[in-house]
Amino acid sequence: MVVLAEKDFKLRYRNSVLGFVWSLLNPLAYMVILTVVFSFLLHSSVPNYAPFVLTALFIWRFFQIATSQSLYSIVGNPSLVTRVYIPRTLIVLSSNLANLLGSSLEVIVLLPLLILLGVHLEVHALFLPAIILMEFVLIFAISLLLASLNLKYRDVSQIWDIVIQLGFFLSPIVYDENSIPTRYQFLYSLNPITRLIEATRGMFFQQELPGARDLSIIFLVIGLLLLVGLAVFQHLQAGFAEEL
Amino acid sequence: MTILEHVAGLVAASEARSYEELWALKSIRFNLERGESLGVIGPNGSGKSTLLKVLARVMKPDKGAIRCKGTIAPILELGIGFHGDLTVKENAKVYGVIMGLPRSQMKRLMGPIIQFAGLEKFEDTKLKHLSSGMQIRLGFSIAIESAADIFLVDEALTVGDMEFREKCLERFRQFKKEGKNIILVSHTLDLIRSFCEMGLYIYNGETRAFGPSEEAIQSYLDDVSKGFPSTVRG
Repeated sequence: MVVLAEKDFKLRYRNSVLGFVWSLLNPLAYMVILTVVFSFLLHSSVPNYAPFVLTALFIWRFFQIATSQSLYSIVGNPSLVTRVYIPRTLIVLSSNLANLLGSSLEVIVLLPLLILLGVHLEVHALFLPAIILMEFVLIFAISLLLASLNLKYRDVSQIWDIVIQLGFFLSPIVYDENSIPTRYQFLYSLNPITRLIEATRGMFFQQELPGARDLSIIFLVIGLLLLVGLAVFQHLQAGFAEEL
Repeated sequence: MTILEHVAGLVAASEARSYEELWALKSIRFNLERGESLGVIGPNGSGKSTLLKVLARVMKPDKGAIRCKGTIAPILELGIGFHGDLTVKENAKVYGVIMGLPRSQMKRLMGPIIQFAGLEKFEDTKLKHLSSGMQIRLGFSIAIESAADIFLVDEALTVGDMEFREKCLERFRQFKKEGKNIILVSHTLDLIRSFCEMGLYIYNGETRAFGPSEEAIQSYLDDVSKGFPSTVRG
């Protein structure tokens, strides 16, 4: 599994002159672009808007890229399914792992940039790996659903595209959670991505660890999704070899 | 299949007849002792490859059971997971792990694998620069290093040059002496005659003959010359 993830990751940067450096340069470039846009062009009521958005985008991008790629983890590797037997969950997991590696590298760019923008990071920021880990489990749960359903109904990838676009605005990325009307706030707060983003912002900007409310929603929702994901995947995988 | 087709199919099925059921395999029964190898023969579409897939646990039988002692190495397709942009060594590592070799062992086995494939000069070359024959040799070398007890081989032997083919057969003979089983699907009857002591002839997913390979081959040849039985599938 680790070997498969390693292969995915290596392949991404083969045949390019800068190779591995791109995995750092690319997030750096887009973060700088966004910082410029948000610091100088758009003015928001939120103080220190650029770090505010960058933090959320880090969480969001990991989710978006990893789930979108997982759609093809089974469909794109037919011989791994029809010619040998390896536990199929590992195929999905290795796709996710390659993205985890990419996202972890983004941290190397994100943290210095935040400091440069005047954010005072304290020990609380050390909780970030735990956030990433929780998000990883969330991604794995959703990937199991997507990868197995996409095999049976190829529409899933199109639908997921739309969900992702909608999700971008349904999560507090370019705005603050408090700007949501009060009557929707409870429903809104159940979104695990919202919780992860808010928890990370809390660590970075308010020097506070994720509260019991954040954590309980995260554990509950992610746990539930994981159970559903595993059940659906288990149910569908008997037919994988015939569908491919 | 898209969701629309699925819905359309459901509606259509309720008015028109549903599609015909087809059992790719039905009443197949055989057993092998340690060290015996089995040749599977039969015309195209008779279920030979499906049988291997079921044995390899890639497909799950709707009914019936398979009991086997020992680990299975399916060589249904060589070089699964190979990628042209990775080097020979990197590819070998990926494929070895897919075939069930632990990573620690892959390091130790890398030398013998490259040597068996005869690719010492090219171990750091990107795979895409190798000829297709060489790639297959690499795939085969890794597959037979996987320390399995039962090897499932689907026509893979018929590729590669004469010399390499001999080398592989030699290795398989050695495996047989060690008590391993080889299940071989092939249309090369001579190969099965000389290599396998048992033969399984299947037609329309059913056993037509199972016994010493010579008998199974004879039964197949009889059917070819006299015409196949016109059994109705279903």
